[in-house]
Amino acid sequence: MQKRIVLDLDLCCGCRSCEAACKAEFKGESRIRHGDIAGVAYLPLACKHCKQPLCLASCPVEAITRDDNTGLVIRSAMVCIGCKSCAFACPFGVIDAPLVRHISQKCSLCADRKEGPRCVSACSSGALQWLSDEEIEQHEIGMRMVSKDLFFRRKP
Amino acid sequence: MKKIDPKTISIKRAVCPFCSFGCEFGVVFNDFGVCGVEYIKDGSSNGRLCPRGSAAGMYLDHPRRLAVPMRNGRPAVWSKMSKDLIKVVGSPKSVAVTFDRNVTPEEYAAIVGFCDSVGIQYTASTYFEPEHNLRPFLDKPFAPANLEEANIVLVLGDIFNQAPMSSRAIIEWKMKDKKNELIVIDSLNTHTAGFATRFLKVNVGTEPLLLLGLAQENSGNLDISKATGVDGATVNQISTMIKGNGKGLIFASLSFGHTYDPALCAESLYRLHKFSGMKVVPFVEFPGYNGNQGFSDIIDMVKKKKVKNLINFGELFPFYYPQLVDKLKGANIYATSTLKHSGYTMLPVPLGLEKEGTLVTTFGKKKLPGGIEPPSGAKSIEALLSMLSSGHGKGKTPQPAGRKLDINARAQRVAQLTETKKKSYKLVGEKVAYNFLGFLEGEALKINPLDAAELGIGAHDVASITSKQGSTDLPVKITEDVGQGVVAVAAETPSVRGLFEFTIDNELSAINFIPTEVKICRKE
Repeated sequence: MQKRIVLDLDLCCGCRSCEAACKAEFKGESRIRHGDIAGVAYLPLACKHCKQPLCLASCPVEAITRDDNTGLVIRSAMVCIGCKSCAFACPFGVIDAPLVRHISQKCSLCADRKEGPRCVSACSSGALQWLSDEEIEQHEIGMRMVSKDLFFRRKP
Repeated sequence: MKKIDPKTISIKRAVCPFCSFGCEFGVVFNDFGVCGVEYIKDGSSNGRLCPRGSAAGMYLDHPRRLAVPMRNGRPAVWSKMSKDLIKVVGSPKSVAVTFDRNVTPEEYAAIVGFCDSVGIQYTASTYFEPEHNLRPFLDKPFAPANLEEANIVLVLGDIFNQAPMSSRAIIEWKMKDKKNELIVIDSLNTHTAGFATRFLKVNVGTEPLLLLGLAQENSGNLDISKATGVDGATVNQISTMIKGNGKGLIFASLSFGHTYDPALCAESLYRLHKFSGMKVVPFVEFPGYNGNQGFSDIIDMVKKKKVKNLINFGELFPFYYPQLVDKLKGANIYATSTLKHSGYTMLPVPLGLEKEGTLVTTFGKKKLPGGIEPPSGAKSIEALLSMLSSGHGKGKTPQPAGRKLDINARAQRVAQLTETKKKSYKLVGEKVAYNFLGFLEGEALKINPLDAAELGIGAHDVASITSKQGSTDLPVKITEDVGQGVVAVAAETPSVRGLFEFTIDNELSAINFIPTEVKICRKE
């Protein structure tokens, strides 16, 4: 069953617990980032593990592969040459251009951890959730992905 | 010989000691040492952790972790250090003992007992974090059911960033019923303020005046509206709304260098609690303890050469208050610490995570399980005290005298402090969990876009900040979260904390760090 990280916009309080969890695990380099949405909100941005990933298409050495069973788009540290093609190709800007140990940094959805990504476990407000497509349809979060109350947050 | 297998892991359960929530998590070890934290679903926080909790694993084996005693930046040996300390304690009349955070109630009792047994007369708190003024509210623990019954929640400060674990319950409470009012008081546009039904943006440092206004306590006839910048009609409306509301809650936090008079803030909260019947839920990272003296009394005694040696138990003092060191020039400072800092005589002690004992939390007392081994060179406070107390006579620690605040005079003083001089900015402090000890991210200076444009400062520039206390350089973050004439910084590292001015509170003999006039320029 394919699962993905879903963000409940109404609950995210911008505390960056997710980023801290990722940073603590990956030796100071976070693979989940935060975007300042027009000064209204500060929301986490993680790799979407696209069905047709542009990062994969752009990689000159085929370091990025997609597992059709799990939906995971993974970068191989052994093959990556640090050319940054993936960072420039990503339409969401979630692969950061600066290299760490000469390779690009990309979210692997904590494939080593059976409970799912660490950012989801750590999320202090429960805004990040680890759900399958079926769960998303059943869950209220399906409706809240675009925020239930559009004017919930005030502009500074 | 044991075979090392990096795949063998063990998880030790721990209670996070870095704030007053006491979340539970697991520390993951492999044969090489700490390799991270694990989120325990059956723990009190349902596995969730704020950035401080996630950084706990980094703290345990951080390269800056203090593992051996150090004197002026050089490693020392315990045997020699203990000889020196025994000699110091041998003249108890010239010694003052102080304590800040990372001291459990059991350790505090041991320290007081030690002072009594060796005849040390002067004890004081060096926990100068403003939130310590909120300690009396910890006596009545908060239960989540209190929030379910509430229809108004008043928040003082940026609690979603300071204590992110509070966010879920408050946001869900607000979403449950559109009539639920979330009122936030702060001088900065924060994430917490972003969720508010009403955001009362006050002038820098004047939070206590607004609280007094809401409690309809203004016997000094101060123009609260002018001083705080919140219009009188709003103050009256909210005041009428909360009067006698027994079910509401007040969540309160006080950040370093954010408010002119934190003691007045705590007193105003108490008066607002009496006026409205709303329960006050304090966010106090460490309860801290009082001694029999205020710290300004200790400074006086160092000046008069009555105190020649100062022993601090905890982990903040003197490293996080560099501006006080000049005032203590006549004394030798021995300080327990968990991190290496430059200068001073440092004695390594276990971290809160490595201790057994009690943690005072917002929800009541919690047991620290221990079980995580500190560095081999660290000595527990009890072990340190028993090493020092052998062969000395007995004395008695006097009790602190009762104190009463003159709130009218204090309110007038706060109102006077709000004026900003031309070409200078008010520097205010924030306490953001993500900046925990600078482990996850360094400090940045928040500045208003209009101010940045006037100063010729761009998005990726570094600014030089100068106050009367000193100067430092910080990268700039241009944001409308701060108003014009105000700059803000998450005060987590000594170099930034060193910029803040302090005032000596004569009524309480305490030290207050306040919003500070600074000059800003672009660093070439």
